[in-house]
Order: sequence, then structure tokens, then C-alpha cells
Amino acid sequence: MADAGNAPGAAAVAQARLEVVLTVNGTTRPLTIEPRETLAEVLRERLGLTGAKISCDAQVCGACTVLVDGMPVSGCTFLAVDADGRRVRTVEGLAVDGQLSPLQAAFIDQAAFQCGFCTPGMLMAATALLEETPSPSRADVIHGLEGNLCRCTGYEPIITAVLQAAEAQP
Amino acid sequence: MIPRFALARPASLADAFAAFAATGGDGAYIAGGTELLQVMKMGFAQFGTLVDLKRIDELRGVAVEADGRLRIGAATTHREIERSPIVAAEIPGLVALERGVANGRVRSTGTLGGNLAFAEPHSDPATFLLACGGTVELAGPTGRREVSIGDFVVGPLATSREADEILTAIRIPPRAAGEGRAYEKVAFFERPAASVAVRVRVADGAIAEATVAVGSMTEAPEIVAGAGAALVGAAADGDAVEPAAAAAAGAFDALDLIEDLNGSADYKRHLAGVLLAKAARAALAEARIDG
Amino acid sequence: MKRVVTRAEVPSPIGEAVPRRDGLAKVTGAATYAVDVTVPGMAHARILRSPYPHARIRSIDATAARAHPGVLAVVSAEDLGDVHLVYGHAVADHPLIAVDVVRFAGEPVVGVVAEDSVSAEEALRLVSVDYEPLPFVRSTEEALADDAPILHPKPGEQRAHRGFDEDIVRTHPNVCSSSRQAWGDLEPAFADAHLVVEGEYRYPMCYAYAMEPYTAVASWADGGLTVWTSGQHPYMVRDDLAHCFDLPLAKVRVIVPYVGGGYGSKSYTKIEPLTAALALRAGRPVKLALSVEEAILTTRGDAARIRLRTALDRDGRILGRQATIHLDTGAYAENSPLVGRKAANRLGGPYRIPALEVTCDVVYTNTAPASSFRGFGAPQVTLAGESQLDEAAARLGLDPVELRRRNVLDPGERPWPKARGIDANLAADLELAKEELRWSEPAGPGHGKAIALSASDAGSEPITTAILRVLSDGSVVVMCGSTEIGQGSSTVLAQIAAAEMGVELERVHLVQSDTAVVSYDRSTGASRTTTLMGLAIQAAAREVRAQLVHWATSSLAPDGPAVVEGRNGVRIGETDHDWGAIVRAWFGGAAGEAVGRGYLRRAGATEEMPPFWEIGCVGVEVSVDEATGEITVETLVTVGDIGCAINPQTAEAQDVGAAMMGLGMATREELVYQDGNLMNGNLFDYRVPRTTNLPELRTVLVERGDGVGVYGAKGGGEGALNPVAAAIANAVERAAGIRLREAPFTPERVWRALQERDAAAAAEAGLDRDT
Repeated sequence: MADAGNAPGAAAVAQARLEVVLTVNGTTRPLTIEPRETLAEVLRERLGLTGAKISCDAQVCGACTVLVDGMPVSGCTFLAVDADGRRVRTVEGLAVDGQLSPLQAAFIDQAAFQCGFCTPGMLMAATALLEETPSPSRADVIHGLEGNLCRCTGYEPIITAVLQAAEAQP
Repeated sequence: MIPRFALARPASLADAFAAFAATGGDGAYIAGGTELLQVMKMGFAQFGTLVDLKRIDELRGVAVEADGRLRIGAATTHREIERSPIVAAEIPGLVALERGVANGRVRSTGTLGGNLAFAEPHSDPATFLLACGGTVELAGPTGRREVSIGDFVVGPLATSREADEILTAIRIPPRAAGEGRAYEKVAFFERPAASVAVRVRVADGAIAEATVAVGSMTEAPEIVAGAGAALVGAAADGDAVEPAAAAAAGAFDALDLIEDLNGSADYKRHLAGVLLAKAARAALAEARIDG
Repeated sequence: MKRVVTRAEVPSPIGEAVPRRDGLAKVTGAATYAVDVTVPGMAHARILRSPYPHARIRSIDATAARAHPGVLAVVSAEDLGDVHLVYGHAVADHPLIAVDVVRFAGEPVVGVVAEDSVSAEEALRLVSVDYEPLPFVRSTEEALADDAPILHPKPGEQRAHRGFDEDIVRTHPNVCSSSRQAWGDLEPAFADAHLVVEGEYRYPMCYAYAMEPYTAVASWADGGLTVWTSGQHPYMVRDDLAHCFDLPLAKVRVIVPYVGGGYGSKSYTKIEPLTAALALRAGRPVKLALSVEEAILTTRGDAARIRLRTALDRDGRILGRQATIHLDTGAYAENSPLVGRKAANRLGGPYRIPALEVTCDVVYTNTAPASSFRGFGAPQVTLAGESQLDEAAARLGLDPVELRRRNVLDPGERPWPKARGIDANLAADLELAKEELRWSEPAGPGHGKAIALSASDAGSEPITTAILRVLSDGSVVVMCGSTEIGQGSSTVLAQIAAAEMGVELERVHLVQSDTAVVSYDRSTGASRTTTLMGLAIQAAAREVRAQLVHWATSSLAPDGPAVVEGRNGVRIGETDHDWGAIVRAWFGGAAGEAVGRGYLRRAGATEEMPPFWEIGCVGVEVSVDEATGEITVETLVTVGDIGCAINPQTAEAQDVGAAMMGLGMATREELVYQDGNLMNGNLFDYRVPRTTNLPELRTVLVERGDGVGVYGAKGGGEGALNPVAAAIANAVERAAGIRLREAPFTPERVWRALQERDAAAAAEAGLDRDT
């Protein structure tokens, strides 16, 4: 782990670079990063996972939503060092062996996207929602996705897709 | 983008104090970072070193202490509070409030201590905890002290915390028999335009004690003593409390309300009155749990 | 969704909700946007912006910034003597970086290029600029005052791409352009009127909030310039880049990957010339990715103040309309001259108006520049026009929908003498809206319903080309300059090509928006792509089919029997030959291809302007919370009169998305300036609709085959936005008895109107008691 080998109390010494180990979509990724690097920066620029997008850069829009230990976070502001030793999931990890997740399939079926810029974040927020609430009501979906903005669709097809995916889940 | 900084990740308070001392005044503590990193990103603050408090065990967890008070470790996230069965049992109003804080991502990351220490004037928890008689515990290199929320949050983005002190825990008194607490807000943008918290204690079918706190409209959440006093004596019944709430809202006339994009002062004063009535009814509903 | 279809039968896959072709890329994170583009050796730029709304730049000291580690170049106007700094497709008034003067807070002053964006940002803070603040204008009212500071003492010259035939007219030094639309004799119309409704209406500065902020990557190589951009008009960007850098058009390559939302805000040139200039000085490819805060300062929508009066007879027939419009275009013209032209054209709406006079001045102020934004003047003027029709109906004791029915243009009737006749059946659309909104059922207490209309001269200029290649296996490549901006063009245009060639959709590939590869298209905007690019692709398909039939005759049956053209090839005697077989036969081997070309210009079916009318027909039911002043749109009805839904799913999606955007602008969205500074230039304080704002939707697609496009199609995508603010204002009036004339209808504005209503009622009651 990151602090392995450090003397007790040594963690109190400030570091300009840190060694961290992220598990990204199931793959272990040891990295040396600066503390200032956000999870979105590390995913996009160091790991080539450009699915998560930066839009408002203020934790409002949700385009950068990724999951850390199953919880949605704003990749634009969440420090990558805080994902040290944790499980990170991104839109690139949703499909398994080329098989789309029920949510991805429902998004295509309902055309729950237009420009697609919000879609990776929307899918991750909805994934977290369905993992915690497998059979959500329409009101649950509206509350669960209130913090994810979409400027194209007017939301209706997104809500419909999430409800459809919930029904389709094994 | 977030400017460069060095990071210390102490596992104990002692190490945290040492790390902070080593920054030579160019450091800050960080927990969830949802507020601090945002202002750093916007160029409003810059620090050479941040001292991360999330690895310090005693800053985490929720428990009822021997004296009956609820203790919430300062680095407990909004999400943990929202989902805590202990909080749900002890302070249901706080769970309802947390469910409406920012969005799910901020709640996953942001902490209650961070929220209070940042002292954003629109803080939901600060207003509610002020009405509930909550306190914060501050630990410094030379010792610990406990201060009320009202003495802690002293202005916009200003608290009575010393630079090297760490907010370690929040304590909330247990709900007494016949007591109810509620928080209501209205938001037009990301942060509330107006918020009101009400605490009542009901005895013999009437309000025996009441505290009213307002938030988001003033430089810091504040208790409006006149409003609380005006509720005392009112019948402890949802509909019957309306006239008393209307009278209590008169006390808001004296408040120095901030005019901003959320609205002008007279409109916010009106909203506060609407929220007061709503919060009073909700607090009475909670108080009725005891019959 | 309900579909009302009376058009002729269409070939498959027209009219089918085939899955969007960009779906897989977009749900797996594989879709590439400009911000995802990297090229070898790429450096990163950041921009220092003016803190002043109007100031002279005395000096710039970049010494410390240049010395900062990682910095490759620090660039201001004085470093760009070899570049034509001022561009503008309508009026050339916009320097790509401030020259001597800044005209709005947020204008680019210095660019820094560094190895990484953090170093660039750090270096920015080391640049010091000495400004001499100048007096500035905050509003159109201030700008038009006699002693107002002049933003552009030397007016920019007019340019060819302004989008209308008339010359630019200026009626005041701070007027960027002035448009006039007039017909009929106004004086008798108002003299004979039974009723004249007058009012002043305001529409706010809005921000399109395309979630992807403006991004460009510029690379100089092989004696030319390549730019990847988030812009929606690659060819317009190409033309401006060629001008700025004195390059032949052929040496400028503009590539547009997937675009993360536009809604008009990515029309025309934005940061591409600046990025290219920075790359030139840095000697490296450069990426400039703006933040949302910077994007807000780059383009916004035109705010409007509209003074309107409408004259009617006792039966509610419109006799005349007169309006004066001021649009606030901010510091630069951008596309506002055309927005102004369109606002003047669209004020009449879809109505028969015997006499009309509109003047529209596009006014400079020291604020961020305004340009194209979905609706293009129509949302602004429709608020005024449609509000007055409801006011008139109330005063005449008429049902407001009946009043509209009496005034709407008949199919084919020209709104003004030289315009194309209306290609829609508006009276029938109104009936559909009534049905969906359950107009005959009264709204409950605190609720109100309204229906509003708009008509926009849409489609821009028909200057569009397409290339369609039939390959040796019979599969088809379509090459076109239309951008996939989220509207679904990559799906819809492929459907058209598949139908025209009779091949399976899976065997059609579309290449879009790379000026070195595809042929010219004027723009992706004005709801024109399905209609105009659809026609160009159809023309290309027809040409290549004719070519292939000719080839079949010459290579497969030179001496007969007759070659009979079929859906996906030819039949000769008893044998079918598909397109691929004909290609192979003609070339005499296993390879080759046939190329079809489609050209569209102002001729034939697309000679009359506009190419088509875009209809907006929207109904709402609202409720008003009298305690807080908050409006809730409970039900939203859209009637999409689009001729033919090539893909009903994407067509409906355009209506819903547009109407929801209109809902945001009507109720909450507004950029607020105070003393020359933008107070809410971020997503904390600029609120766009969320899931919680979604009303119950009832959508209708009307397909009467009456458009100029393929299979009778015409454009959609803006129409459903245009009448929303007016519909909400009118529904609120019916719900709460208050008349809102200034959008957005914020809770505080509604609350104040309610207070005034109650005060007036109390005063009246007092009077009653006194008398």
C-alpha cells in the first residue's frame, strides 16, 4: 500500500507526489501522482479513460460522475489520492465482455441521450441508484438523478430508460 | 483546476497537529474537500500543504454518548449520516435534511465537520444544529474545547476555530419528551435561498419552549429569539400554530437580510415566514410522537 | 407519443425509429469529443481575461510568465503582427485577442502555452496587465443615450456570411445592425381598431449551457492548418481561419468530432483563431479547452426589450402590429445581426396580418458577446406577440385558441409578400394541441392552461453539397458537412441514404464534418440538416443511380435486353444485379466505385425563401404556488408539425428537449450583470432544468408531407422552444390573474405580481366600500 515502509508518523510529512494503487474497472493500477490531481484527470489523462467528462467543474452537473466503492463522486473535484486502495468504476467498465449492461441497453433503446456528453456520468449515477434501489419508483429515479444535468433530452427518456433497466435486471 | 499542493495524511490528531505546524502558516486541514477544493479551483484560496483528516479514526463514526447526546465524528460524510440508523432514530430531522444537501456525489464525499468549518452562509446543517442546541468539539495542540454552533460560526466563511485547531466532533442533545425539530428550505439555485429551523417542546397541549433559527439569508445562521418567544404558548396543533407562526415571523423584520440573486430582502423575509410556518408544523408533528 | 400521418407512403427505413447510430459509442464512453483529442507534441493553453468591462490596455508585462517552468509561449496581440486579428462572418469587429482595448469583462487578453495546463495556469497569474478603465455601457438603454461611450468608433465592415441579402444598416454608433420588416398600411389598421393591446416585454440574456465547453486543438503542419473543434459549423470556421492566417481555403482543415451540445451556441467561429495563433507562436500543436465559466463569457443569447402594439377588430382579427425591438448583443456582433433580422421577421408569427412594421436594433453593450441560440429571436418576440393575443382574447371575451384560429395563415398563404407560403396546417395543429391539453376541461384552482404558436423562417441559406459513394460490394459511404451535434443527424441522414439507394441501413456509412474530406455544407443550424442535407443526399443518390443504370447498360447489356431500374439495383432479363455488381462489371475487375454528387442552392424547390417554415405549437398547464411565487409546469404538450418524421424517436426528442430548454429560460435562466460584471457566470447560480422540473409530457408528431425536404420533411428542433415562455405567461395569467411581461418568471417576480394583484383588489374593494 501507499504508506508501506513508512515509519510511524511519517505520513504526517507532506508529500508533493504520492504512490497510490487504484483498482479501476477491476484492474489494479499503481500510479505516482501529485496530490492536486483529480480522479477525472487521472482517469482521462493518465489512464486514457476519457468517458467521464468535465463540464461545470463545480460538482453540480454530474458529467464526471464515477463510482468509488460503489458511491457516486464528482471526478472533477474528488482527489485521486482519495481513491487510493479503493474500487473505481467508470462508464468504460459497465459492459462486460462486450455485453452492454441493462442500463446501457435501455439508454440506446430509449435514445436516452443526444449529444452524449452527460451520458457517462448519467449512466454511473443510475448504476449506483439501481445497485442501492433495484426496483425504484419514478420518484426515486427523479430524486436519484436530480444532481445530473442533461441539456438535450429533457430527462424523460433517461427516466424511462432507468425504469426499463430496473425491470430488465436479472 | 486545482493548484499544486503537498499532502500530509496523518493517522492521529498528534500527527495532524505536527503536520500542520510544519506548514509554517501555508497550510489547511482538509476532509471531504467538496468546499475547500472548489474554492482553491476558483483561485479564491491557495495552500502549499493540505493536511488530510480522513485517516484519523476518532473523527469518524456516529454514537450515542453516556450523557445521551449524539456524537457525530467530524469526518463523517453526509451520506453516512443520511443512512445511519442511529441518526434516524435520534434526530430524524437531520436525516431528512441530509437527503437534501447538494447532490448524491457531494454527500458521498463531503463531511459534516467540513460543512460547518467552512461556514458557508447557506449551510443546511449549521442552521438546523443551531436550533437544536448542537455543539462542536475543537481539538488543538494544547487541548480541547466545546463551543455551541452559534459561537462557532461567527460570519460568512468565518468561525471561531483557531488555524491549528481541528473540528473533531459534533454533538446534538437528545430529543426530550415532547420535543420536535424540523428544518425547511427553499432553493432556486444550487444553494438555498432561505431556510428556517424550528425546535419546540410541547407540554400540556401547548408550546412550552421554542427556538427558531434562520439560515441562508443572513451572513451566518442565527437564532431569532423573538420568533421563538412568539411561538411559546401556542396550541400544539398543526393548524392552530399558523397564527402564532405568522406573529413569530414578525420578528424577522429586524433581521439584516442579504440581497442577492436569490431575491431581495423583503421577498426573503416573506419566504422565511412561509418556511417558519411549515417548519413549526413539522416540528409539532415530531413532538407528537410522544403523544 | 401520438403520430398524425397523412403524407404519402415512404420507403423503409424512413419513418422508422431505428436505434441511433451513435448510441454504442455514447453509452460506452468511446465517443470522442474535441476535449478528448490529443495529437503528438500537443501543448496546453490558458487564457488571461480582462477584469474590466471596458478599458484601454496600457501595457502587458509577461517577463515572469515567460520564465515560468514549462511555458512555451506567452502571446498577446502585439505578438501577432502577422495575423489578421479581426474576424466576424457578419460584421468584422471581433479581435481574436484584445487589441489595445477590452470591451467586456472576460475578453481574452493574453494566452499562455505550456507543457501542461497547470503550468500554463500558474504562468497566467504571473502576467501583469496595466489597464486604463474606460466608461462603459451596461444596457441597451445606456448604449443608445446621446453621450454613451462608443464601443466601436470604427465600425467593422460587413461580411458575406451574414445570412441575409440586405446591407448592414446602423442607426446609432452603438447599433451593430438595424433590421426592418414592414408591409401594409399601419395607420388605418390602428385607426380602425376595436382594440389595441400594448406592452413592453423583456427576454433575458440566456446561456445555452452546452455541457461541453468550447474546445479546440490546432496543429500547423504540411504548410497548412488543422483544427479539431467543438464548433458546429466547420466550414464557417474554415473560412474565418483562412482569413485570419491568409491561407487558401484548401490549406485549412477543420475536423469536428462528436459535439457535446450546441443549441446554436457553437455556431460560427469561437476560439479556433486564437488557438491557431497560439499554436503558431508556440511552434507546437495546442489544445485550448475552456471552462464553463469561460464558455459563458464566450457566447450567450441576445437579451431583448420589445415594445409591441397589436390592433384587432371586434371579432379578434388582427389588423396590424407595430414593434420596436432592442437586442443586446454585447461587445461584438457575432451572429446577432441575423438574430435581429430573424426577430423582425418572426414577430408576426404564423398569422395573417394586413399591416406590420418592426424595427429591430442590435445594440452593443460592454457585456459578453451574444450570438445564435436555439430559436434565434423567435423565443424573444413570441413572448410579446403571443402574450398580446391572450390579452386581446380576454378583453374581447373570446377563447384564446379560437382567436388564434381566426388569425392563423391558411396552408400556402404567404405571411409577407415575398416569403414562401406557410407549409403547415396551423388550424389543425391547434386542434391537436387542444385535444392533448384537454382544453375543454377546466383547470383546477391555482392552475391555468394556455396554447401558443410561433412560426420561424428557418433553414438558413440552401448552400449544401453531399457526396455519395457506392463501393464495389454495394455498400454506401455518404460524405457530408453536417455535424452530429446530438440531434441525430448521423442516424437520420443514413436512413435517407439507405432509403434512396435501397440498401440496408447497416450497409451505409456516414462521414461527417471534416473539411478536408467531405464537401461543403453552409452550417448545421436553423433546423436545416434533415431538410437540406437530406435533399443533397437524395440528389447525390439520384445521380449515382443514373450513373449505375448507365453503367449496367454499357457493361452488362450493351445489346439488350432492357435494363430495368429497381430499388437496390437493376434487373436485366430474369437476373437481378445489385449496385456492387454493376460497379465491378463496369470496372471489369473486383474493385472500383461510383460517385454521386448532390448540390443544393437557391434554385428550384429551394428557390423561395425561407426554405421552410418551422412551426412551434405548445400547450402547458401550470400551477402557481402563491406562498413562494414558484411556477410549476404540470403538463407540457408539443405538436411537432414536421412534414415527415424520418425517425420519429429523434424527432420527438428534439421537441421535448427544446421545450424543456424553453421551460428553463421562461422560469429560471438569466445571466445577471451588475456594473459590467457577470454575477452568476457558473452552474451554481445559473440554474438549468433538472429531473425535478419535468412536467407530464404529451407529444404529437404531425406528418402531412408538406415540407420542401425529402418525403415532405421539414425542420424541427427549435420550434417547440419558441412559444414556451408565452404559453407559461398566459397560463399563469389564467391561473393567478397576473400578467408577466419579463422573463424569466422567477419566484420573486411572480410573488411581486401577486402582491400587486392583491393590493389592486384591496384598493378596489376599498373604493367599492367608499362609493
